[in-house]
Amino acid sequence: MTTDAGTVQLADETGATETPSSVRSIRSFVRGRRRRSWLDVYAIGFAIVIGCIYASDLLTAPLSRLSGTAAAHAAGQASSLAASQAVAGAALVVAITAGLLMLAQAFGPIAVSPADSFWLLLSPLSRRALLRRPTATVAGLGALAGVAAGVLALAMAGPYLQHGSRALPAAWLALSAVSGAGIFLAIVFAGALAQPRERWRTRLRACCAAVAAIAVVGAVAGERWTALEHAVTAGFARTSTGALGVLAAGSVALAAVVGALVWLSLGRFPAGVLRTDSARAGRALLAAAFLNVPLLTWIAEDNHWRGRLLPSRAWPNLPPAMALAWADWRRLGRRPALLTVLAGGALVPALAGAAITGKPHGWTIAATLLAGAIVAGLHGTATTRRDTNDQTLRRMLGVDARAALLARAALPALLAAAWLTLALTLLVATGVLHGWLWPALGFIAGPGVAAAALRMARTAPINPADQGPNLPTGPTPPWLISRALSVVVGLIGGYPMLRAVHADQVHPDGLIAQLLVSAVVLGGYLFIAGNVPQ
Amino acid sequence: MSADATVVAVRGLRVGYGSVVVLADIELTVTAGEIIAVTGVNGVGKSTLLTCLAGLHRPAAGTMSVLGGAPRDDPAFWRAVALVADQPTWYPGLTVREHLELIRLTHQPLRGWCLPADELIDFFGLAARADASPLDMSSGQRQRLSLAAALARPSRLLLLDEPEQSLDADFRVELAGLLREGYADNGGTVIMATHDADFALAAGAREVRLSDGAIVPDDEDYEDATDEADEADDADDVDGSDDADPTDEADDVNGSDDEYGTGDAEDADDIQDPGAWTAHAARHTRPRA
Repeated sequence: MTTDAGTVQLADETGATETPSSVRSIRSFVRGRRRRSWLDVYAIGFAIVIGCIYASDLLTAPLSRLSGTAAAHAAGQASSLAASQAVAGAALVVAITAGLLMLAQAFGPIAVSPADSFWLLLSPLSRRALLRRPTATVAGLGALAGVAAGVLALAMAGPYLQHGSRALPAAWLALSAVSGAGIFLAIVFAGALAQPRERWRTRLRACCAAVAAIAVVGAVAGERWTALEHAVTAGFARTSTGALGVLAAGSVALAAVVGALVWLSLGRFPAGVLRTDSARAGRALLAAAFLNVPLLTWIAEDNHWRGRLLPSRAWPNLPPAMALAWADWRRLGRRPALLTVLAGGALVPALAGAAITGKPHGWTIAATLLAGAIVAGLHGTATTRRDTNDQTLRRMLGVDARAALLARAALPALLAAAWLTLALTLLVATGVLHGWLWPALGFIAGPGVAAAALRMARTAPINPADQGPNLPTGPTPPWLISRALSVVVGLIGGYPMLRAVHADQVHPDGLIAQLLVSAVVLGGYLFIAGNVPQ
Repeated sequence: MSADATVVAVRGLRVGYGSVVVLADIELTVTAGEIIAVTGVNGVGKSTLLTCLAGLHRPAAGTMSVLGGAPRDDPAFWRAVALVADQPTWYPGLTVREHLELIRLTHQPLRGWCLPADELIDFFGLAARADASPLDMSSGQRQRLSLAAALARPSRLLLLDEPEQSLDADFRVELAGLLREGYADNGGTVIMATHDADFALAAGAREVRLSDGAIVPDDEDYEDATDEADEADDADDVDGSDDADPTDEADDVNGSDDEYGTGDAEDADDIQDPGAWTAHAARHTRPRA
């Protein structure tokens, strides 16, 4: 027959083959035509090397506990400080593992590339063959993370392990790594089984969140109550080759069973779920690759609000600028879980200090306080961030840019202040810091640190093509400079408090100094930013 | 019509997102070779109906039969069903031609009506961009490529979500012709969600109008249309406006409102009639008072 397109050919006449295509041949087709430059390969290789260097730096200190600590313990040198460090460290490993598992579930865990999900998923190709590689990748990454978690957990228990030799037996290390990999893989595979069932997916995520929360609370409690500390360290001391062997065999068997169930389910894995998850994972990876925080934030927000029904409320009878800022307050009021997580995060400074450096106070706690306060402040800057790209709403309401910025500064300042107050109160409660002025100091420091959050929110999205100035360290992209400067602003804004935390000394003079610094930093930033046209 | 010719049979379909009911009690039968235009206002559930038929969204209640069985989400189903919805994600580094070749390779062996890559490139006006990456093309050209990809492989049911998006008016007519004379006349069935009455008319489509989550019965369709037209006429009378009224023009073309809603067979005839379609479209695109 003939159409406008010309003679229509039957498929058989167009050079088609009689045999169905395999996923392998399709991937070969795509790979053979993909133009990947040497620069791309170099960039990927460079990123991997840099990642390994950072990881080794981070893990050197904890892993050093694996060597030579048994002798020290035998000599009775394992102090109470080392005990709290071991408990906190082990809890942190559990919490991080739970967090990684939640992250894996947020991305699927099984997902294909967005292009594959569009062109190959809804096709006659075998679903199992198509998902084989992404599943293997997830399993590989899961096993790697599990090995790291297993070894780290053993390292945290280092001073209390009773292996009877100077050096840690290699078998213990291997069994611990295998146990970690087995447990991690079993949970990741369980996540894959739950992926098509929204209710189970939510439950599994809630379980991981609960484990993380319990670990954090347990670690802090371990620092406070020696009974718990003794119980945990006694548990470490009972570790034996047999116990580790049983754990390793059990976890591997469990992972194998759940993995087999996943393998069986791959053939009928629902395309709809895969398409949604693959699109989300693709966007998130792209945003992460370019450090595009606004896009990552948008993905998280979209993921949260999609499909929800919200009760509409009347716009409040406030001055225009305040009414504009009210959107941030309402958004946060609709996310009580987020506020709860932020409040729970106030425990991290106490935990991090004990687990990483073993010191009750110091720069580790100061750094986590600064980072936590900035993060808390950022949760009140959603509309400020949006206005950086699109000022339509502000213009529509006829609000002056400076007035809008002033009105919107209140929430991040309050959030940072509240978070610092809570974190410092918990540091006092757990005995890390001493004195009753700490909560007041935290509240006063909040607005100063919030200037950093506001500055970050107003930073333009990252343009990867922008090379930036050539500094002594080489070409430095503007987004990096801008975000680093925001942290410096936060550092200055909270300096009196951070210095006091480092020294574990708080005086009324320090409060006055912090009050002045907060007023100058936040006020100065608002004055300068209000005069800069966006 | 024989039972064997039924491609899609939907009975009592009910679909929701959480507590929000989007579609309720949908009854629809589509036979081989038909082109169906699912119309309705934004958010009425047109795309949801398509994703349900593709098996990507599970309905809360009701039964669906697509090509003789429930949507199965297996290789055999996707060999027979092609879906063009959402904006595709393209392979970075693959050209337009390579994307089409990839589709044909994926659906081997190609048994049934489809067009070779070269003809598709010519027909869809992509010859000058055949060796370009889709990422470098305009939104309209990308939409053309998405539709071309659906016709590069054989299928028995084509599900299109607003295929007219970003396409220029002339090409919409050409595309409608290809769907009618190329795809449907070779036994293929098309179900498309669309807002373009002219496009649906050119494709010779039967209209299925959704309103408030349900298919509007033909007689109710007529009453709504008449009411809306009367209200609009009254409004014109009140303000004394002499502005051209598309409904009036439609009435002139159509001759009489009575051509609507006089029964299934007559209504089907009306839909095939260009005058009827124009009038129909004019009524349904008129804003509510």
